[in-house]
Amino acid sequence: MTAVTGVVPMDPWALNIALLVSATLFAIGLVGFLARRNMILMFLCTELMFQAAALAFVAFGRMHLDVSGQVFVIFILTVAAAEAALALGLVVLLFRKRETLSAEAWSELREQPSA
Amino acid sequence: MSSLLLYTIVLIGAVGLYFFIRPGSFQLRTAAGLVGLGAIAYLGVLIAREVGGVDQDSPILYGIFGLIAIYGAGQMVSNRKPVQAALHFILVVIASAALFILMQAEFMAFALVIVYAGAILITYMFVLMLADQVHRDGDDPDDDRRPREPATAVVVGFIMLAVLCDALYGRDHASLRLPPESAALAQQRQWMSLAVLDRSLERAVADVAPGYREVVRRDGLPLMRVDGGTASVLIVDADGVEREVKLDPREMPGNTTQLGLSLVAGFPASLELAGVILTMAMFGAVVLARRQLELGEEQRREVMGLPRTTAEAPENQPARGGST
Repeated sequence: MTAVTGVVPMDPWALNIALLVSATLFAIGLVGFLARRNMILMFLCTELMFQAAALAFVAFGRMHLDVSGQVFVIFILTVAAAEAALALGLVVLLFRKRETLSAEAWSELREQPSA
Repeated sequence: MSSLLLYTIVLIGAVGLYFFIRPGSFQLRTAAGLVGLGAIAYLGVLIAREVGGVDQDSPILYGIFGLIAIYGAGQMVSNRKPVQAALHFILVVIASAALFILMQAEFMAFALVIVYAGAILITYMFVLMLADQVHRDGDDPDDDRRPREPATAVVVGFIMLAVLCDALYGRDHASLRLPPESAALAQQRQWMSLAVLDRSLERAVADVAPGYREVVRRDGLPLMRVDGGTASVLIVDADGVEREVKLDPREMPGNTTQLGLSLVAGFPASLELAGVILTMAMFGAVVLARRQLELGEEQRREVMGLPRTTAEAPENQPARGGST
């Protein structure tokens, strides 16, 4: 019934805007990773950087009219899920030791002197 | 675009972000956030105007969802409450899913919302709520709320963004335009993926030629002719006559079909590796989450099924010296 949307090349401006958003998200994720103290939010900022990479992959894939870019987003999702599982396991482990989520508590890498 | 203009705009954005993530009055933070967003939006407008050719899609949607994503990211790195920061990441995910849809990546858009916003973010929220920090008397209760060295972080981010923007926009844009015949090639590729999808091809042919005998194949591949939005296949129909039938344009493989085909046919080893990564992550999480017991040497030997060291010791050492 409805007309099939034909294959249309992407406008260069659309690619540029998507890449600008991607670059900005990546930079903000980097700033957040450096500026946040909460370890969970630091890992969340790395997820933001993954997100930016995924956006760039899809944009370039759209530009070249090729779905391989989207296939790579699937792999990014895989890595993000694996990272979430491992990072959160580590954070919970660290939280049990120091009772705080602050990354500052681990600035000295040695055993806490037992009281 | 001149590099100087580019760097100036990015610098204004960085200053905005700096005052946005620093603790301060509500008015100052709002103003700083608006300045940062405005700088990025102005950069986007400049770039779009320089590249030109805004005619097919509507640029306003790209702009709106891009700005929503950037706003969510800014809130995420600056919000005082961790749970709200995580919620703002969901905003980022949904805004980029919208951008994915604009870029005709429908499957990945929904997968992103389901997997990221639905699964990964919920895990983060659970851990945020489980690891509730108890503020003891000696602690600074604001510890989690002040950013750690915001100036350094923003400088690093500014350099990163400036370098990225210079690499992306400092050059001419002729290379971004694909040759006009590439669209026809992509359409052909899209139709041709039917050639390996036997079931879909059979269904498509049965729609237009019910009761056909078989699709004529050469070297195992169906004979297919693609012309713009339509494709035709050579078949042997019910009367045993070879003829060419035109396929319904709706049978053209969509985004999901193509994505699945590309994933399984193009990257089989990577797909298996992704499975291995997930399995290893699961094992890793199990090993990490287990409570670690401090076992002594004797208990560890017992667990491993080795004899106790104390029982062996008298046999080994003095016995040899004593017998000779």
